[in-house]
Amino acid sequence: MADFFSLSELFSGFAAVADPMVILFIFIGVFVGIIFGSIPGLTATMAIVMFLPMTYVMSPIQGVSTLIALYIGGISGGLIAAILLNIPGTPSSIATCFDGCPMAKKGEAGKALGTGVVFSFFGTIIGIIVLALAAPLIAAVAIRFGPYEYSTLSLCALSLVISLTGKDLIKGLISGLLGIMFATVGLAPVDSAKRFTLGMSELTSGIALLTLLIGLFAVTEVIKAAEEVRNPLKAQVKYKNVSIRGFGFSLKEGLAQKWNLLRSSLIGIVIGILPGIGGAISGMLSYTAAKNQSKHPEKFGTGIMDGIVASESANNAGIGGAMIPMLTLGIPGDAATAMLLGGLMVHQIAPGPLIFEKNGVEVYGIYGAMFVAAIAMLFFELFGIKIFIRVLKLQKYWLMPIIMMLCIVGAIGNANRVFDVWNVLFFGIVGFAMIKSGLPHVPLILGFILGPIFELNFRQAVQHYLIDPMDVLSHPIAIGFFVFTIFVVFYSLKRQKKESMLISEE
Amino acid sequence: MKNVIKQTLIASAAALALSVSGAANAADGSYPSKTITMICTHGAGGDTDYNARLISRLLEKELGVSVVVKNVTGANGSVALTQYKDEKPDGYTLIATNTIAMASNEASGLSDFGYTAFEPVAIYGKQCGENIIVKADTPYKTLDELIDATKANPEKIKLGIAFGGSSYIAASVIADEKKSQFALVDAGGNAPNRMTTLLGGNIDATIVPYTIAKEYAESGKVRFLATLMSERLPAAPDIPTVKECGVTNLTVDTLYGILAPKGTDAAIVKKINDAILKIVNENQEYKDEIRRYNYQDPYALNVQDTIARLKAQRELMMGFSKYLN
Repeated sequence: MADFFSLSELFSGFAAVADPMVILFIFIGVFVGIIFGSIPGLTATMAIVMFLPMTYVMSPIQGVSTLIALYIGGISGGLIAAILLNIPGTPSSIATCFDGCPMAKKGEAGKALGTGVVFSFFGTIIGIIVLALAAPLIAAVAIRFGPYEYSTLSLCALSLVISLTGKDLIKGLISGLLGIMFATVGLAPVDSAKRFTLGMSELTSGIALLTLLIGLFAVTEVIKAAEEVRNPLKAQVKYKNVSIRGFGFSLKEGLAQKWNLLRSSLIGIVIGILPGIGGAISGMLSYTAAKNQSKHPEKFGTGIMDGIVASESANNAGIGGAMIPMLTLGIPGDAATAMLLGGLMVHQIAPGPLIFEKNGVEVYGIYGAMFVAAIAMLFFELFGIKIFIRVLKLQKYWLMPIIMMLCIVGAIGNANRVFDVWNVLFFGIVGFAMIKSGLPHVPLILGFILGPIFELNFRQAVQHYLIDPMDVLSHPIAIGFFVFTIFVVFYSLKRQKKESMLISEE
Repeated sequence: MKNVIKQTLIASAAALALSVSGAANAADGSYPSKTITMICTHGAGGDTDYNARLISRLLEKELGVSVVVKNVTGANGSVALTQYKDEKPDGYTLIATNTIAMASNEASGLSDFGYTAFEPVAIYGKQCGENIIVKADTPYKTLDELIDATKANPEKIKLGIAFGGSSYIAASVIADEKKSQFALVDAGGNAPNRMTTLLGGNIDATIVPYTIAKEYAESGKVRFLATLMSERLPAAPDIPTVKECGVTNLTVDTLYGILAPKGTDAAIVKKINDAILKIVNENQEYKDEIRRYNYQDPYALNVQDTIARLKAQRELMMGFSKYLN
């Protein structure tokens, strides 16, 4: 263990962050990150993408700290719009809407925001602690995951999401399958066969997740706003004088959430570690876990702190989790950490199992930067919440053209192709059509992310199975995931049947 | 209608004048006079990108104008190559790619053109090479021992590769020449994935670039058996080449190249090539950075040698195309 906790390196790492320039960059990064996070359609990933080139000219510690600050601010900023507008500012805040918006409607917007902010902070801190203490151990477990584990895990996650979102199982399934179908465009995994490219060279690289997200979450909003333009809804944020007094909630209320905080943070960390799954699912899973564990599950969705705590502590703790495989294996857990990885490489910090020995100072610098960024986030969101609400209060006719422009910029920024602009507009229309037909968006996005993970790993698993069928038995984790999937499917079918019987009796 | 025709005529005359002046620029030595865009065919943070960014940063000083790198990614570089091959050949759009991706995309049919669709400017770098590796706790000390083990135990030893990629070509050539009997499994198109799959014990051997495996070899987790390069890597002279191990037809040299759209003035190409040769061969900052980061030895070719090298590589890869379909 001595290698991982060299005191002198710990000291020099923290000292490097204590540089006033670094702290300034972290504060700027967090501020910009929160703005990106709070505006629906702009994400932490986008913030990192847009600022990555600027960090090339900074020192390694400055550059990496800025990127991490954008990441933490961006993930946390999503809660503001989730609570005040019922739109997740970033996909990872989807579950924050469930209780955040009802709380705001009850006139407890300040309390909801305070809860989100404070538990985002604690989630981040728990994430950092776990990252620092358990990185080597956890990586050793995650690295054993092979095709069997990944294919069953993605299947499990997909069935959970489809059965959880929306009231209608069929509509969830349609949406999920649409997502999987969109993901099949481009080169197939394993054999690189071209699929559904319609003879267009641009489609050989498939549809980029970023363009899908921008289209579904941002352009759809713009189209919706355009539809409502003739009978405009009054100012977006209806809540007057939203302010957070103290933390917005009492110490007793806060302490009552301690197990929820711990459980949700751990779920967030575990999901964060697993590559490719990310914040959106961790928020949903921890929300469901909190609901199932609760003594009053029926109150979930009506506006209680528990739901916000679950979602926000999980998505922020996931940052620490996602950093674990990124730093120790060089494998990013999500799109944002993939960008961070690029940022590290540019600064000659080579992630891998020897990172502690080779770049110990920088690693401790990263921990230090995360810690400072968490404090900056708490500071800005508790005392500067009015600034970010202002951003949301902007009239739609001011905001929408800017959002549309940023959507286009973001689309081009993805791969410098005008083609992606058309993609974004296409998915904006798809998203609008889905709203009109009552299809939920979330299963589509998760189908899009998990479908290819499942397909790739399933095809690889088949290859392994053909070589040695009995080998499956030596993968108990995969078997566990599979059994759990079957349970989820049967449980949700049963629940659906029960609900439809209740409706027909009425 | 007349107006439209008139406008079109004026516009085309203007365009003609511009292109003439572009040619004049090259001839009278005023090129470059504005920002050059360097399209990188692979993503930010990777080795192709690193080489492109380092050379453009130093080219700025050499040429006296900004050289901006833009990553246009997808389908192993073929998206960018398709999109920019017909760009205006004025010397202000250049394409930085890795040559093995371009050649193998053509050989596999992923794209229907190769280097001949461009004016090659320079080969300006040579990757530290793909290597066959095994976990350190396996008994195989040499490539031959590993191959013999596959013959003793056919279709049981798992070699993790990316189907259609250079690792797949390597596996096929080894099977052809040495009668190895690996169980081939897909372990992901990007090298870090193959590395994790090996470390996680899900495969027995794989093929990854030196940069990816170096740290794991130093920490005693994996062992290098052979490099696919034509010559031993100066940074790791102990690793034999596959040729030395008796696989006579197998070499995979990943080279970094700069291309210009077809029709770019030869004087412009020469000017950029001269600047690149000067940087790679004389600039100490370049030499230090490329060695430290990518374990590359400075390596660059003039225009004729670049074209000859691309031709040779294309022929080699086309020879492998029977494995790719």
